[in-house]
Amino acid sequence: MEVLTETIEEDEAAEWEEAAEQPERSEKTRPAEAQKEETTLSPEMLRDLERKLSEIEVPTPADHQASFSTDADTIDISKLPLTYKTNTPRERLLLQVADNFSRQYSHLCPDRMPLFLHPLNECQVPKFVSTTLRPTLMPYPDLYNWDSCAQFVSDFLTMVPLPDPLKPPTHLYSSTTVLKCQKGNCFDFSTLLCSMLLGAGYDAYCVHGYGSWDLCHMDLTREVCPLTVKPQETVKKEEKAPPKKYAIKPPRDLTSRFEQEQEEKRQQEIRDQEEKLRKEAEERLLEETKVKPDSLHGLRVHSWVLVLSGKREVPETFFIDALSGRSYSPQDEHFLGIESIWNHKNYWVNMQDCWNCCKDLIFDLGDPVKWEYMLLGTDKPRLSLTEEEDEDFNDEDDVEAMGKEDEDKSFNMPPSWVEQIEITPEEFETRCPNGKKVLHYQRAQLEKWAPYLNPNGLVCRLTTYEDLECTQVLEIKEWYQNRGDKLELRHINKSTGLIIDYFKPGHPQALRVHSYKSMQPEMDRVMEFYETARVDGLLKREETPKTMTEYYQGRPDFLSYRHINFGPRVKKLSLNSTDSNPRPTVKITERFHRNPEKPADEDVAERVFLTTEERIQLRYHCRSDHITANKREFLRRTEVDNKGNKIIMTPDMCISFEVEPMEHTKKLLYQYETMVQLKNEEKLSKHQVWESELEVLEILRLLEEEEEAHTLTISIYDTKRNEKSKEYREAMERVLLEEHMRQVETQLDYLAPFLAQLPPGEKLTRWQAMHLKEECLGDFKQRLIDKANLIQARFEKETQELQKKQQWYQENQVTLTPEDEDLYLSDCSQAMFRIRILEQRLNRHKELAPLKYLALEEKLLKDPRLAELLKVFI
Amino acid sequence: MNRMYNSMEPRVIDDDMLKVAVGEQGPREEAGQLAKQEGILFKDVMSLQLDFQNILHIDNLWQFENLRKLQLDNNIIEKIEGLENLVHLVWLDLSFNNIEAIEGLDTLVNLEDLSLFNNRISKIDSLDALVKLQVLSLGNNQIDNMMNLIYLRKFKCLRTLNLSGNPIAEAEDYKMFIYAYLPDLVYLDFRRIDDHAKKMAEMKHQYSIDEMKHRENQMQIKQEEEQARRMKLEEHKMAFVEHLDDSYLFDSMYAEDVEGNKLSYLPGVGDLLAAYKDKFVVICVNIFEYGLRQQEKRKIELDTFNECIQEAIQENQEEGRLKIAKFEEKHFMNLNSIREESDLLNIEKKIMECSEDITELFNVLMTLEMQLVEQLEETINMFERNIIDLVGLFIENVQGFMAQCRDLENHHHEKLLEIAINTLEKTAKGEIDDDLPEDVRALFIDKDTVVNAVGASHDIHLLKIDNREDELVTRVNSWCTHLVDKIHKDEIMRNRRRVKEINQYIDHMQNELDNLECVDIVD
Repeated sequence: MEVLTETIEEDEAAEWEEAAEQPERSEKTRPAEAQKEETTLSPEMLRDLERKLSEIEVPTPADHQASFSTDADTIDISKLPLTYKTNTPRERLLLQVADNFSRQYSHLCPDRMPLFLHPLNECQVPKFVSTTLRPTLMPYPDLYNWDSCAQFVSDFLTMVPLPDPLKPPTHLYSSTTVLKCQKGNCFDFSTLLCSMLLGAGYDAYCVHGYGSWDLCHMDLTREVCPLTVKPQETVKKEEKAPPKKYAIKPPRDLTSRFEQEQEEKRQQEIRDQEEKLRKEAEERLLEETKVKPDSLHGLRVHSWVLVLSGKREVPETFFIDALSGRSYSPQDEHFLGIESIWNHKNYWVNMQDCWNCCKDLIFDLGDPVKWEYMLLGTDKPRLSLTEEEDEDFNDEDDVEAMGKEDEDKSFNMPPSWVEQIEITPEEFETRCPNGKKVLHYQRAQLEKWAPYLNPNGLVCRLTTYEDLECTQVLEIKEWYQNRGDKLELRHINKSTGLIIDYFKPGHPQALRVHSYKSMQPEMDRVMEFYETARVDGLLKREETPKTMTEYYQGRPDFLSYRHINFGPRVKKLSLNSTDSNPRPTVKITERFHRNPEKPADEDVAERVFLTTEERIQLRYHCRSDHITANKREFLRRTEVDNKGNKIIMTPDMCISFEVEPMEHTKKLLYQYETMVQLKNEEKLSKHQVWESELEVLEILRLLEEEEEAHTLTISIYDTKRNEKSKEYREAMERVLLEEHMRQVETQLDYLAPFLAQLPPGEKLTRWQAMHLKEECLGDFKQRLIDKANLIQARFEKETQELQKKQQWYQENQVTLTPEDEDLYLSDCSQAMFRIRILEQRLNRHKELAPLKYLALEEKLLKDPRLAELLKVFI
Repeated sequence: MNRMYNSMEPRVIDDDMLKVAVGEQGPREEAGQLAKQEGILFKDVMSLQLDFQNILHIDNLWQFENLRKLQLDNNIIEKIEGLENLVHLVWLDLSFNNIEAIEGLDTLVNLEDLSLFNNRISKIDSLDALVKLQVLSLGNNQIDNMMNLIYLRKFKCLRTLNLSGNPIAEAEDYKMFIYAYLPDLVYLDFRRIDDHAKKMAEMKHQYSIDEMKHRENQMQIKQEEEQARRMKLEEHKMAFVEHLDDSYLFDSMYAEDVEGNKLSYLPGVGDLLAAYKDKFVVICVNIFEYGLRQQEKRKIELDTFNECIQEAIQENQEEGRLKIAKFEEKHFMNLNSIREESDLLNIEKKIMECSEDITELFNVLMTLEMQLVEQLEETINMFERNIIDLVGLFIENVQGFMAQCRDLENHHHEKLLEIAINTLEKTAKGEIDDDLPEDVRALFIDKDTVVNAVGASHDIHLLKIDNREDELVTRVNSWCTHLVDKIHKDEIMRNRRRVKEINQYIDHMQNELDNLECVDIVD
C-alpha cells in the first residue's frame, strides 16, 4: 500500500481529526506495518504476517444497537432466512480480510475516515457491503433503463436521514427488508438501485462519499423541476436554392444606407438595455437562491450510485443520486468527495485528492495508484501505465500484488446473502409508499399518486409558484390516467384563469384540446378536435361571447372556415321558454378551399351572409394569372313597385365586379337563380350553426357529467380491477378447487381412522408409529381375508343351489314339460357361468392379496407421517 | 309510321317553332317571368324537346351550342342532319322517325345516349366518333346482318343495347352471339344479362372470338408502333435533323439523278459509290446526333427560362394580391364608417380619404407591374441573346458538316470523272465491255457528253445537299424568330391584361365610392 500524500483542506480538517481518533485499535499492528514499509519482505514472512493479522478480531462497537432500535422493532427477524442470521465460513474469512485491509488502511492513512466495510444487517450480523448487493434484473420492461430504475427507487422508498450526518450508518439492511418497510437512508437507496442496475447490466457502483446539504436531505427546492423545463425548439433553417440562370434581379434598393445604420444602432441600444436589465434580474434571482453557508459543508456523509461508461452503451460516466432519482455529471458541485466505492465483486478505496469536489477524479479502477482495491482478480482490467513511475513505487506494488495474489488464489467474493429482490406488480404500480409522494422543487411542487388511487384518475400534479416561498400559485398541471372521458392533462393558469384540457383520442366527439375559463356556455373557449375522427372534418372551434369560429379540413364541399357573429338574444315572451332559444345570427362568413373541378372565377372563395341586412356577399377565387377576384353582392329586398307588382329581380339587386366580364352572368335569370340557391344555402348554414351550438352544449354537458361521476376505465387485461374478468377468474378458480377436492376425496387417507384414535395435536412416538403401522397392516389383512371369505361363501352357496336344482331335475325329469326343461337348462347354464366367474375372482384375489399387502406396507413406510419414525427399523 | 300526324303538313324546324318550344320549356314562375322579360338566348338552352311536331327536316339548330339533351322523337324525319354544331350533346332521341341510314353524327363526340328506336335503319355504321356511347337503342329497325354487330365491339363504354324487333332478333343464335361478342354489355333488350348465360355464350363462340381478339391485338400493336414512329419523327423534326440518321439524304441524291445511275454501271464505280455512301452516311449521322444534343440544350434553356419567368410573375402577383387584400380590409372599414356617419362634412372628408386610398393602391399596383416589366424585359433579352447564340452555333456546325459532305461529293466527282474519261478512252479504242447497257453506252460518244453527264450528276448532288442545308437553316432560324417573337408578344399581352385588370378594379372601386356618395347626397 502506497503512502497517501494528500493535501488536507481547511474545512475537512475537523473530520480528519475526528477520524484519527478511531483507528487506535489497530495500534498493535503498527510495528509490523512499519517493518513492511522499510524493507521488502519475503513471501513467507508476509504470509505469516497475514495470518497473524487475521487472527486479531475487531470488536464491534456496542452503541450501534441504540441508534437503530426504533427500526429494529418493526422488522420481524424470525421470518428471515438463515443467511441473514449467520455468516458462512467464506463470509467470515472475507470479514477477516476486510478487517485486515481496514487496519492497514487506517495505519497508512491515519487521518482518513475508517472504511465502510461491514456494517451490521437487520439481524445484527456484520456483512460485507459487496455481499449486500444482489444484482437482480426486474421483470418489468420499464425498469430496464437506469433512468426509470432510479425514478422507481426514489419513488418507492421514503428517505430517512442518517442518524449521524457525519458518519456512515452502523447498519445496512438487506434490500428485501428495505423494500418491505419502504424507507431507508441514502445507503439503502443506493444499495437497492445499484443491485437493480447491476442486474440490468450496467457497470454500477455504490459510492460512499460526501455530499452537500441539499443532496443529503433530498432538498430539491433549489433545483428546477424537470417537468417545468421546456424542450428547446430547434429552428430549422430553410435551405435556399441556388438562383437559377434566368432568375430575375431584385428591384433596386433605394433606401438610404445611412438611415438603416442609424436605425440599427438605436435598436442595438434598446437591446443592450434590455439585456442589462435581464442580467440584473438574473443576478438578483441568483442571490436569492444562494446556498446558505453550511457549517458542516464537506463533512456530510452521503451515498449514491456511480455508473461507469462502457456497458449498456453508456457514453459517459455519471452519478445517480438514488434519493431523488436524478443523474448528475461527476463535475456537479453537489458531490464533494468519495471515500470508497464497491460493487458486488470488489471494493475500492479512493486514493485521489478531493479538494476540488469530484471534478478531477479519474474513474479508472484498474489504476492502483488512484484506486486501492481490496480483492485481487476482479474483472477490471489493470491499467497500462503510460508514464514512468518511481522505482520504489513499482517495487512496492509488486510485492503487495504478490501478497494479494496469494491471498486471492483461494478467495473470491462470496455470493450475496440477500434474498432475491422481488417487487410485486401491485407494489410496482403503487410505487410510492401509500401510493402518494410529494416533492418540492424550486418554485414548484410535484405530487404523485398511484393510478386508481384518486377517484378522478389524478396521477400527478405539478404546481408552479411565482415566488420562492411558494405562496403565489402561478399554474397547475394535472395529469390523469384511465379517465372515461380520455382527459390526459389539465393545465390551469392561475394568473389568467385559463384552463386547458388535453384529451387522448377516443372522446365521443373527438375532442383533443379544450381551453376555457368557465364551463358556462357562450363564453370564451377554444376546442380542438381530432379532425380525422370526425365526419364533418372539424379542426377547431373558437368561441367568444359574441362569435364562434370553426375551422375545417378535408371536407367534400371544401369549406375551411366559418365565422358567426351572434346578436343579442331576443327575449321570448311565450311560455315555452324551456326550449332552446338560439341566439340570432347576425353574420355568417364562410371560406372555401379551391375546388379544382371548377374554373377559378366560378369557384366561391368566401361568402358572407348578413342576415339582418339581408345581404349576401360573394368573393370568388382568384385566377392564377390575375390579382383581383370576382365579387358579387346580392341585396335581398323584396319590394313592390309602383304598380303593385312584386319585383322579382332588378339589376341593382346584384352588384358584381368581374375581372373578365362574362355574358351569361349579366343576365337577371342567372342572378336570380344564384340568389335562390344562396338563400337555400343560407338556411343550411344557419342550421349547421345551430347544430354546432347544440354540440358545444352537449360536449359541455358530457364533460360536466364526467367531472361529477369520475368513471375510470379499466383495461380488460387488468385482472384485479376489472370486475368482469375478476368474476370470471374467480369462477375458474372455484371450478379448479372443486376439481381438486374431488381428486382428494378419491385418494382416501388410509391412516386417518387410526390417527383419529390417537390423542390429537401430539407428535407420534416411535412406538406409536410402529403400532399404527401394525394396526393398519393388520386391518388390511383382515379386509383381504374377509373379502376372500365372502367370495368363497358365495361360491359355495351358488354350487349348493346348483346341486339342489340338479337333484330336483333328476327327481322330476319325467313329469317336466319341454318348457320347464328349457327353463331348467338355461338356469343351469347361468348358474355355471356365475360359479366360474366366482372361481376366477377367488383365484385372482388369492394371487393379488399378498402383493397388495406388500404394497401397503411400502406405502406406509414412505408415508411422511411415519417415515421418520419407522426408518430405524428398516 | 307516324300515320296519325298525316293530317298535318310536314314541317321544317324554324325559328318560330324553336322560340315557342324554348319559351314553353324554359323556367317557370318567378324565374319564368324574368326569362320572358329578358328573352332567352338559344345558346343558353341546355335541353330541348321537339316531339310530335311532324318535323320532316332538321334545321336552324346551329345556335344551340350548349345543348345537352335533344328530343326529336315521333316526327317524320328521314335524314339525320343539321346537328353538326351541337358538340356538347349527351342525349339524343330520334326514335319513331323515318330514318333509313345512320349519318351526320360525326361531330357529336360527347354523346352517351342515342335512341334510334323504330326507324328504317338496316345497317349499323357511321358511329365511330361516338366514343363515349353508353346506351344505344336500335329496336324496331331492319337490321338483318348478324356480322354487323361486331362493329359495336369498338365502343368500350357501351353497356345497354336494344335490338329487339329487328330481323336478326328472330335468329336462334341472336342472344348468344351478342353475349359472346359484346362481353361488356350489361343490359340487352331491357333485360339484365345473366352471368351464367354470358359464360355459356363465351364457351360457345370461343374460337372465333379468340381469333378476332388476336387480330384486334395485332392491329393495335401495329397502330402503336406507327404512333411511336410518328412521335419519333416529330421529335427529330423538332431538332431539324429528320431523316439524317440513315442514308435517306444520300438516296435522295441519286433518286433523281439519271446520269449518275447510268454511270454507276461503269467498272469501279460500284466500289467507289459504296465507300462514298459509307462516309456520307457517317457525316449525316454526326449531324443527326449533334442536332439532337443541341435540341436538348435548347429545351433545357427554354424550360429554365419559362420556370424563372413564371416564378417571377407568381411572386409579383402574390404581392399584388396581398396589397389588394390589405386595401380591401381597410376600405371596407372606411365604407362602413361612412355609412354610419351622419355629418355631411365628415362624410365628405372620409370619402376624400377613401378616394386617396384608391389612388394610392393604383399607384402601388402600377409600380409593381412596371417593376416586373422591367425585370422581365431584362431577363427576356438575356434569354434572346443566349438562344440566338445557341442557334447560331448550331447552324455554324451544321454548315461545317455539310461542307464535309460537299468535299466528299467533289472528291467523288473527280474520281468519277476520271473513271468516265478512262472509259471513254477505252471506248474509243474499242475495248469497251459488252455488258454495259445501251443507254450507258450512248453516253460515251464523245468527251463533252460524258463530262456533261458527270457534271449534271454532280450538280444534282450538290443541289440536294444545299437544299437540305438551306431547309435546316431556314427552319431553325424561323423557329428561333417565332419563339422570341412569341415571348415578347406574350409579355406584352400579359402586361396589357394586368394594366387593364388594375384599371378595371380601380374603376370599380371608384364607382362604388361614387355611388355611395350619390346615395348619401340623395339621402
